[in-house]
Amino acid sequence: MRLGRQLAPVAAFVVLAVVVLVLPSFVSAFRAQQLAYVAIYLVALIGPNVLTGYTGQISLGHGAFMAVGGYTTAILMTDYGMKDVWTIPIAALLTGAVGFLFGLPALRLSGLYLALATFAIAVSAPAVIKRFEGFTGGGSGINLFGVPELTASLTPVEVLGRELVFNDWLYYLTWTVALVGYVLAWLLLRGRTGLAFRAVRDSETAAQSSGVSLPRYKTLAFGVSAAYAGVAGSLFAIATTFVNPDTFPIALSILLLVGVVVGGLGSLVGLIAGAVFIQFLPIWSQEVSRSPGAPTVVSGLILIALMFVLPMGVAGLAGRLRTLTKR
Amino acid sequence: MIRKLTLALPALVLVLVLGAGAALAGSSRTEADPGVTSTSILLGTTSPLSGSASAYASVARGADAYFKYVNSKGGVLGRKITNTIVDDAYNPAQTVQATRKLVEQDKVFAIFNALGTEHNEAIRDYLNAQKVPQLFSASGATTFGSEAAKYPYTIGFQPSYQSEGWVLGKYLARTQGTAKVAVIFQNDDYGKDLLAGLKKGIQRSKVKVVAAEPYEVTAADVQAQVAKLKASGANTFAIFATPKFAIQSYVFASRLNWKPKLTLANAVSSASNIMQIASEGGTNKVVNGSVSIVFLKDPTDPKWQNDAAMKLYRQVMKQYAPGANASDVYHVYGMAAAWTAVEAMKKVGKNLTRAGLVKVVGNLSISTNPFLLPGIGLKTSQSDHFPIEQMLLQRWQKSSWKSFGGLWGYRGA
Amino acid sequence: MADFMQQVVAGLASGSIYASLALALVLIHRATGVINFAQGEMATLSTYLAWTLTTNHGWSYWPAFVVTLLVSFFGGAAVHQGVVRPNEKGSLLRVVIVTIGLLLLINGAVTMIWSGEVRAVQSPFPTRTVEIGGVAISIQDIGTIGVVLGTMVLLWLLFQRTKVGLAMRAAAVNPAEARLVGVRVTWMLSLGWGLAAVLGAISGMLAAPSVFLDPNLMAAILIYAFAAAVLGGIDSPVGAIVGGLTLGVGLNLLGTYVDFVGADLRLPGALLVILVVLLVKPSGIFGKREVKRV
Repeated sequence: MRLGRQLAPVAAFVVLAVVVLVLPSFVSAFRAQQLAYVAIYLVALIGPNVLTGYTGQISLGHGAFMAVGGYTTAILMTDYGMKDVWTIPIAALLTGAVGFLFGLPALRLSGLYLALATFAIAVSAPAVIKRFEGFTGGGSGINLFGVPELTASLTPVEVLGRELVFNDWLYYLTWTVALVGYVLAWLLLRGRTGLAFRAVRDSETAAQSSGVSLPRYKTLAFGVSAAYAGVAGSLFAIATTFVNPDTFPIALSILLLVGVVVGGLGSLVGLIAGAVFIQFLPIWSQEVSRSPGAPTVVSGLILIALMFVLPMGVAGLAGRLRTLTKR
Repeated sequence: MIRKLTLALPALVLVLVLGAGAALAGSSRTEADPGVTSTSILLGTTSPLSGSASAYASVARGADAYFKYVNSKGGVLGRKITNTIVDDAYNPAQTVQATRKLVEQDKVFAIFNALGTEHNEAIRDYLNAQKVPQLFSASGATTFGSEAAKYPYTIGFQPSYQSEGWVLGKYLARTQGTAKVAVIFQNDDYGKDLLAGLKKGIQRSKVKVVAAEPYEVTAADVQAQVAKLKASGANTFAIFATPKFAIQSYVFASRLNWKPKLTLANAVSSASNIMQIASEGGTNKVVNGSVSIVFLKDPTDPKWQNDAAMKLYRQVMKQYAPGANASDVYHVYGMAAAWTAVEAMKKVGKNLTRAGLVKVVGNLSISTNPFLLPGIGLKTSQSDHFPIEQMLLQRWQKSSWKSFGGLWGYRGA
Repeated sequence: MADFMQQVVAGLASGSIYASLALALVLIHRATGVINFAQGEMATLSTYLAWTLTTNHGWSYWPAFVVTLLVSFFGGAAVHQGVVRPNEKGSLLRVVIVTIGLLLLINGAVTMIWSGEVRAVQSPFPTRTVEIGGVAISIQDIGTIGVVLGTMVLLWLLFQRTKVGLAMRAAAVNPAEARLVGVRVTWMLSLGWGLAAVLGAISGMLAAPSVFLDPNLMAAILIYAFAAAVLGGIDSPVGAIVGGLTLGVGLNLLGTYVDFVGADLRLPGALLVILVVLLVKPSGIFGKREVKRV
């Protein structure tokens, strides 16, 4: 019985991995690219999941962390001639360090104040990027299309004996990173760290009095969460083949928050649902109406409606289904 | 174990459904090129329908209305045009994704009149690699016309921002010999190009730019910048801004009691509705006598009241874009571009191919676009992908623009 | 010297607009404990309402003004009752999400109804300028500062000197205990939202004549208003004013005289203020420290 329960999530994960592997043969190359973006948002959402779901800190600034990752990749590729895949772990480390550093002063903020502070960072990120023009290319941004370090952008690449065009290559790259990233997060959260995180979330004072070092775990959570956002940003730059300050606007941070809310916290199903939602919402809302402003209205309505209907997100729904089927 | 699987399954099913749906929807009807059948042409446009630049959505709206009108008259050699407009919220990353969708999923024939400088830059390499025409980019950035050799599939439309600045600069050099200019400009390629053009135009004269203040699009107001410009002691004020900030510039200059001898503004900063608001019922002295650039027919200019083209414009707007504000000149811009696209496609003929279209627009020579000012023609060549390079100067008198002088032309990048 | 003073005056003018919206943020936070991300958009909507009445329906200024305030009041209260209240029991994140949802909804709706075109809005004050010692001061700006100060006084009186204000404060700080002593907590919260909406409307109508009306009227101002509120103390009306004016003048002078800041870093400058204040003295200049009880 116990073994079954432990094997269940693993089995589900394996099924998912197989589906991911096999799917491109059934869908068009373009759809594969859209699904690649789903993987990117999935990675991006793991961050807030860890931060908010496990230590209760609300961040509205993950778009800024994505920008750090994205620009790291772009600059490393164009100025230092580094191959795109190798920039990803560097982006993770760099953004993680930035997040960790931010986590230090963030210790003094809580709840709404932290939300406000991270909101402030996300809003100012584009302007700051623009200011350091010599470094970041300013408003014109950095173009990655056709750059030799960008795999498969002009000619197909050969991987494990198969020839992949850009869209399919992107798909496999992003989903591999997403699945690996998910496993890493899962391992991290299962262990002592995860326990400490949850203790912090449930009651800071209680956690402190049981010997959990608040500063250590809260900043660690920020660092980890930022690292994931950085990886997502890096993949985003590779996929979009272009970065500039306007590609990481405050709307992105808000969209990530929406994804967290829709997906709910703490489950793979939720992450996937949230990522799918983020990727396809702009497309769906345009089906509803093409008038200027309509897509924004739809997004707002959905957010509000979700708080009424599914306050715990899809994960919450899944959780409720779980308790129902237990009977 | 089975319960956990049943949870993961909905997510997987969702993904599969999305995937399968697309696989089925992918069927295209192939002729010579994607997007063209014997009865239809599919064009794609990205436009800021939402977000901070939604005022520019009127461009796409005007173009779309004109295409619908053309369809009602039989289309282009019997083919009806469908113009798919996708919102990119003025975010280049969205422009990239939307463009890829238009090319790879919707399989459009060409990308038409995509709006935004960085937005067009972001998709330029991709479109040229895919050999999809990037037709009449709605941006005046110099790069769209000047890199013709590298990007054969990309054509601009309006006069480059640099050429606008240059013309204004040359005008100053010729008529205001020793002017001292203070410039307010938007801190992006648009504003910087205009400023660079102005400086080039005044190069061999005694006119000097004594102060130049940038502002960010995210600014709440530009009062501080205008105050700083006033303090520079300049006697000429140049406004290279976007609508809201152009109005603010005029109004703050007046409020600060600044009385520059002459105010200059580029085309976007000086559309009639902007000037009407800025003039504050005629009390704003800074507005009077302003000089600006124009290449389109202004719907609020009484001179075109009985003009055949503007009558058509109003009729088309009423019928195919009800509810839109017809005095908004951006609609005219879109219509002018749409007209040119239709003429170009007609010229290619029955065998409509992308290569054919690129050849035609790369060698344009049209002087009859009814929405452009009389005498302004569309001309491109292998090394010059700026169709419009001529403009007129106009002066704001009482409550409308009055063009003066002859046509100005700009040659060279 | 005149140039310096001109920048100071310009800073006071901008700052008073930040302060007016900051007052709304302070009110909502003090009365309901919530940071309302949609405050700016609600103000924009109110301003469009006033514009429609005066321009499309030919109303004269003051009747339109009064009606706009009334509609804003009831609108704000309705938003609380309908949208916010059901989510108050949930986590903090839920309320934040709802206000962000409102932000998106209202911003989109405004664009759909009125389009992105820029509009002119009448000012209640004459737009003449007086010149004192080489410095141009617009009567409108003086009027704006006057209104903002007056509103601040009224707000202060409300909270410190009236029973209703006391009840509102009690409802925000400790709803359970407030109920025990007979305070109708829900009414007080709705009242808070309604009044904040009124303040937002006033802010929009003060700003629009100078800054001009488009759907993003309040978007930029909101950030500066947050900075002002945080700087002055998010529970203090006086702080909102001091914060707003200080911010306006400070940013202007920084932008004019420090080249590195220039125009580009004005906004991040404001945000840096938010960050620094939150870290050094989260309660702001005039706020009181929050003590957490175990």
